[in-house]
Amino acid sequence: MTDTMMEVGLTGSVPDDQILVKARGVTKRFGGLLAVNKVDFDIPRQSIVSLIGPNGAGKTTFFNMITGAYVPTAGEISFDGHPIVYLKGNKVRSLKPHEVTALGIGRTFQNIRLFATMSALDNVRVGIHVHLKSHWWDSILRAPSMLNEEMDTIDEAMGLLRMLGLESRADTWARNLPYGDQRRLEIGRALATRPKLLLLDEPTAGMNASETREMTDLIRKLRGDLGLTVLLIEHDMRVVMGISDRITVLDHGEVIAEGNPAEVRANPKVIEAYLGRGAAEA
Amino acid sequence: MSAEAKRIGRGPIGWLGHMADAAEAIPGNYSRLLRAKRGRTIALTILGLLALTYPIIYQQLLAPFSRTVFPLPVPDETVVTFMLIFGIMAIGLNIVAGFAGLLDLGYVAFYALGAYTAAFLASPHFGSVSIVLFSNVANGFPGIHLPFWVVLPIAVVVAATFGALLGAPTLRLRGDYLAIVTLGFGEIVPVFFKNLAAITFTFSVAGTTIISLQNVNLTGGPLGINPIDPFIILGIGFGATSGIAACYFVMALTIIGIVVARNLERSRMGRAWGAIREDETAAEMMGVNTVRTKLLAFALGAAFAGVAGAFQASYLGATTSDFFQFSTSILVLIMVILGGIGNIWGVLAGAIALTYIDKSLLPWLGTRVQAVAPDFPNPSQFNFLIFGILLVVMMRFRPEGFLPSRQRAAELSVHGLQAAEEELGVEVETDNVEVAPHGQAELDRRAELPNEMEDE
Repeated sequence: MTDTMMEVGLTGSVPDDQILVKARGVTKRFGGLLAVNKVDFDIPRQSIVSLIGPNGAGKTTFFNMITGAYVPTAGEISFDGHPIVYLKGNKVRSLKPHEVTALGIGRTFQNIRLFATMSALDNVRVGIHVHLKSHWWDSILRAPSMLNEEMDTIDEAMGLLRMLGLESRADTWARNLPYGDQRRLEIGRALATRPKLLLLDEPTAGMNASETREMTDLIRKLRGDLGLTVLLIEHDMRVVMGISDRITVLDHGEVIAEGNPAEVRANPKVIEAYLGRGAAEA
Repeated sequence: MSAEAKRIGRGPIGWLGHMADAAEAIPGNYSRLLRAKRGRTIALTILGLLALTYPIIYQQLLAPFSRTVFPLPVPDETVVTFMLIFGIMAIGLNIVAGFAGLLDLGYVAFYALGAYTAAFLASPHFGSVSIVLFSNVANGFPGIHLPFWVVLPIAVVVAATFGALLGAPTLRLRGDYLAIVTLGFGEIVPVFFKNLAAITFTFSVAGTTIISLQNVNLTGGPLGINPIDPFIILGIGFGATSGIAACYFVMALTIIGIVVARNLERSRMGRAWGAIREDETAAEMMGVNTVRTKLLAFALGAAFAGVAGAFQASYLGATTSDFFQFSTSILVLIMVILGGIGNIWGVLAGAIALTYIDKSLLPWLGTRVQAVAPDFPNPSQFNFLIFGILLVVMMRFRPEGFLPSRQRAAELSVHGLQAAEEELGVEVETDNVEVAPHGQAELDRRAELPNEMEDE
């Protein structure tokens, strides 16, 4: 069954130049725990792909390997033609998180990790940091190039805040923002890194129905207007089924199903993973 | 959006033009401030002028009376100089501990490095050679004699280099563990300087001597290095015996330090430090090169201590390892915390206040107590007891310090954009900037929701 799913699924079915992220045999072992086991995973350009699975399935671990936070035990990951995880001799090497960010991967966190006592504007400006050129001595001397760069940075950051409807909150400390605004600000900060791929870790967690609807609209808009590719971890199945082009299901660190929402919904393995064997047979 | 119109020209000419514009804008800005916050502006102006003229006021008016007339001791020019030496160090430690949030308990190491660098390069200590460069010392006089304006930048570079070197092993450490390792360095370095008076060390491989040192006196041991060349320009000395000249020199150094620290704070580097302080993992994920950024904080912070150390060595004309005990690290840290960690003016105030208590108030109290009760122990021995009590009281009633930074002062919301506007002279469009709502209650409510966590 798995084999057929793999064939109808993504891997191998899309031409190479249309693939933004290509992961092959990615494995992560924490001591005795096999968190992610030989995962092959492709993300086509400008698609919205969801990664779902029960708790502890290895979704966030997989995120952390794409962003360079964890070095995989084995496997290879490339992004837009650049290797992120690669073999050097016998050792698996990974780019550092800030190098991955510079290549064009932005992310948000499952539990919001904004810079709490920095303004919304400064949070976004930290996101632009990786693209700024001025040196520390330019800052000390207040060199013209640095001042001009700072002005551009403010314009860019204000533009992002405006797009997210947070313009009036620019001066507010991140921690003083309402929950929904914090979620959006985190996306704004990720967008400030000028990403090609946006990784969203449970963007609608803890949101009510209308906030969730706003968030899904925003994600669609990001793909449509900015041409971003989005990889999503999400537990809210209405969100996942409504928004995704493709869904990959992880369970115990392995891919158990891949396909479009309808295919995944009908897959007995997925039902079993979520509800247990009895439910799948019933 | 006037940003495009107001672009600043490139290169040195553009820089000069921008500085001229900024200087031109000062009177306008000042009168605007005067209208907006009259009392505060006037008070700060008077305070600033008093601070700038204090050495002259002291010399002309206070000195003849201070020991007899005034009920409280007034700091003399030596105390003022030490206030500012510690002020420079507090500003430097604030870069590491306040801006970047890296608790450094070994800061005294860089103070010592600055002082000993000055001692090596401007004293008769290395008597077997004679190098005299632009100095008032007679030709052929034993030792290395470089002028202070050459010594100072070298001391800065040496301190900054060691700041980065000692910072490197701590890069993967956070919080308590970082503090413990820096504490180790703070203990090692003074002992190092104390004991390198007679280095005897031989290392040979298969009969070939790789290195052999016999009785090398590097640091003068517990006696230290004495004398160190005084700093003299155009016949004006900047030493401990030269009155207020040294006061004004160290005041100039302090003002440069304030400007440098403020410019760093308001730059992208300052934001990166803030991000690391708030959440190092998130900062790294958002593209901040944490290794580079933290090393830069360590190096730039250490550079300030290098300035303070080199100046002190030249000012006192001697340096011994006694100045660089672990307790000095703690003293500077207390200055930073009491003054208001993260706020440059706060830590400067902390340095001035504690140096005043330590070097002016307690000795004065000492003579008073001794006059009344000769058997009672001298209060100036209790300085750390008093600092400790101050710290406890402060942490209980005002944990953010005398002059807290915006981050520490609990609820202050409208700052980022306005500060950016002021500093850049740009007007950013904001239709209605609202004062922050108190979203914390909302957050707490959310936190209680069953959250599907995936901990790995």
